Amino acid sequence: MANPIIQRELLSVLRRPGTVLVQCILAIGFVLLIAVRWPTEPRVALSGARSQEVFSLFAYGLLAAVLLLLPVSPATSIVREKNRGTLAMLFNSSLGPWRIFFGKLLATLGLAGQMLVLSLPAAAACYALGGISVGNILATYALLGLTAVLITTLGFLVSTYSASADSAVRWTYGLVLFASVILLLPHFLLVGASGLTGDIVRWMRSLSPIAAMMSLHGAGDFGARGLLTTENVFARFTVMATIVSVIAAVWTVKRLNLTLFDQARDSGTIADDQELGTRIFRRAMFLVDPRRRSASIGPWANPVMAKEFRCRRFGRLHWLMRLVAVCAIISLALTILTTTQTISWDVGSIGGIMVVLQVALLVLITPSLAAGLIATERETGGWVLLQSTPMSVWRIVWGKLLSVIVTVALVLLATLPGYLVMIYIDPSQRNEVQRVGVCLLLTAAFVMLISAAVGSLFSRTVTAIAAAYTVVLSICAGPLLIWLGRDAPFGHDTVEAALMANPIATALSVIRIPGFRDYELIPGNWWALGIASAGSLLVLLWQTQRVSRPQ
Amino acid sequence: MTKTKPPADQKQPVVVIKQLTKKYGDYTALDNLSLTLSAGQILGLIGPNGAGKTTTIKILVGLARPTSGTASIAGVDCVRDSRSIKSLVGYMPDKFGSYDNMRVREYLDFFGAAFDIPRRVRIPRIDEVMEMTGTAYMRDKYVDALSHGMAQRVGIARILLHDPQMLILDEPANGLDPQARVEMRELLIQLAGMGKTLLVTSHILPELSRICDQVAILTQGKLRACGSVKEIGRQVSQQRTIEVQLANEQSIPAAVKVLGGVVDASNVEASPAEAAVRFRTDLPEEGLGPILAALVRAEVPVTQFRELQTDLEEAFMSFARPTEAA
Repeated sequence: MANPIIQRELLSVLRRPGTVLVQCILAIGFVLLIAVRWPTEPRVALSGARSQEVFSLFAYGLLAAVLLLLPVSPATSIVREKNRGTLAMLFNSSLGPWRIFFGKLLATLGLAGQMLVLSLPAAAACYALGGISVGNILATYALLGLTAVLITTLGFLVSTYSASADSAVRWTYGLVLFASVILLLPHFLLVGASGLTGDIVRWMRSLSPIAAMMSLHGAGDFGARGLLTTENVFARFTVMATIVSVIAAVWTVKRLNLTLFDQARDSGTIADDQELGTRIFRRAMFLVDPRRRSASIGPWANPVMAKEFRCRRFGRLHWLMRLVAVCAIISLALTILTTTQTISWDVGSIGGIMVVLQVALLVLITPSLAAGLIATERETGGWVLLQSTPMSVWRIVWGKLLSVIVTVALVLLATLPGYLVMIYIDPSQRNEVQRVGVCLLLTAAFVMLISAAVGSLFSRTVTAIAAAYTVVLSICAGPLLIWLGRDAPFGHDTVEAALMANPIATALSVIRIPGFRDYELIPGNWWALGIASAGSLLVLLWQTQRVSRPQ
Repeated sequence: MTKTKPPADQKQPVVVIKQLTKKYGDYTALDNLSLTLSAGQILGLIGPNGAGKTTTIKILVGLARPTSGTASIAGVDCVRDSRSIKSLVGYMPDKFGSYDNMRVREYLDFFGAAFDIPRRVRIPRIDEVMEMTGTAYMRDKYVDALSHGMAQRVGIARILLHDPQMLILDEPANGLDPQARVEMRELLIQLAGMGKTLLVTSHILPELSRICDQVAILTQGKLRACGSVKEIGRQVSQQRTIEVQLANEQSIPAAVKVLGGVVDASNVEASPAEAAVRFRTDLPEEGLGPILAALVRAEVPVTQFRELQTDLEEAFMSFARPTEAA
């Protein structure tokens, strides 16, 4: 191969036993996906509806696999080399930034390509069923390929800005979630809007591979509520994804030089030692200044909890205050807009937005906080230090969980005023709001515990976070793919059964959002989340105890 | 630098290791190790990679269980009472264990709180250990931005917080520049002077030979030698090596002639470039005086007459080579 990086990166990944395992699981998964939907009736459907149904399910499954499995590789690719010192060696070689970039790009796409190749037998089976054209299959694979390019280039860009592999993974998953799901929300809420607003939300929606896939498979539009859309979402996705990928690629290459290493160590400036003007300015900007000398850990505080808050950039109080302030402002603004009739949404719609925002925040933030609780300590050598203190394992785990609980609770409580205003405007919503509250609490507990449990099984933070995001997003987004096909191919009962495990759908059904109000998901979902949370807690405690046991 | 010896009443055995064995499946990491160490002493544990040094340390700090044998620190069993051991021992592993976005003071504050040191005691104690370890100037720096030498000092400050009787340091001088190594050496001697018992592992043997009261050489899990550097040198070479430094190169034949008369001529070796003659002998110390007198009588211009210490490195290699070959 002309580019040595392709050989090194691709072969080293393919040699790992974990890669072989994932490939086997994927191959079996694709086969099962087809097998369970394979028609068994002794009749031939001339319309080809059945084969299209099977192919749609298969395509959504493939898309989910690309969205969930691919981001880890590009996200860690550059930052890991930077921290290990091998990137400096590459810069000092005759390879230029473009060759380094393309080497990495092709290696990552090679991995994605291999994943897609594994699915070809299943695609061939769909084709054999009839009703699917070669054009359909090619367009689906083109979309998947383009999605892989988009994720890879974004991952590389994030990787050049990150200081650690785990933060790169967090941000990349966040971006992928934003591009594929969050960008659909404005269109969902403003469906049918005309003028500039309508154009903007339609173009924004077009960057989502999910919207493109739905359009390609004739599943209508996300949240279209019966309205027909005429634009070609797939073509728009192709344009948008290409533009974003090219920008990300050029941006990444521009950053691939020695300035990545030309950074001084933080001198640890303390605001208390600075001039009065600076201090006043910082006080106004931060409320809780991260550069002020922190107080000693109090007698009642769990030291591990205090440590977790202090050593996480995002966990620092000034970030939490900002997050809480943003949540409070958004929730209050939405409810006030309703009361003043500035916009014509009803209270239910506002509730829907708030629920979606909160759940999105929970799903986005909680795994990144909880997944690395044990893995980071093991990776950095902190676990041995903690073990050499008289603190019990339970106290350590409780302190760590407490740091996540406090953060998540603050986020949830910040939107409480919005719900209170909602009840004030429409007292009939009281019951729904109470149920939504229970849903959100259970969701938070579930996401936190399952992320912590999954993450504790790994000794590297990156793997722990990637695994936790994969599990959480599979549970939260997977059933929504089935919900997308709620009229065809899936029946009401199938969709309801799939949504039963989904905390987002449950919260939306409780607040009676169109599309979800027809499903009765509680108390079934509450039981499911409760049992899964308890199971996750047991796994977490067992695993922590296991790694703490003297060898 | 001269080490300040601890008071006599502190010369009690603090660490007692008896027939300690640790097996991982068929592999024996530690084989029947027995050692004692008194208060205020510094024990240097040396051995090649995989010799069992870290296994010994892990058992002492309660992170590993021995397959057989016992180990105790200040009378507390390391296996059965690993919780109490944590208060008695300050353990600095070879990996620093830094946390992101945490300043040195916060780092020490966290570990102080983890050791249940009340806040009113902890605050002055942190200042005290930072002063002691020379880390006071880095109190506001982020621990993940410290240089290796700084981090090692902060690591020592951390293990001093709860005022343990014993300090266990795994490779404290690893990766340090010469100046930082000298500073580390002085710090360890200072700590021993305060009555702390130290167990130190290192690959940098000249460093250990300068500070350790005792050295234990481990290879393949077995204790090959234990004692002071001098005693170990004697174990390696039964004969002592004496160097006679002369005023000029021309006096070498005369010196060789005299020495050939009192010791086996094959044990005499001249070094014209250094204007010196060396000889090996198994004579006791009192037998060396007549040799010097014979040289003076023969009017050989002797400027120095001294015994050469067996280098720790040499001693280590003499134990490590046969086991490697085996």
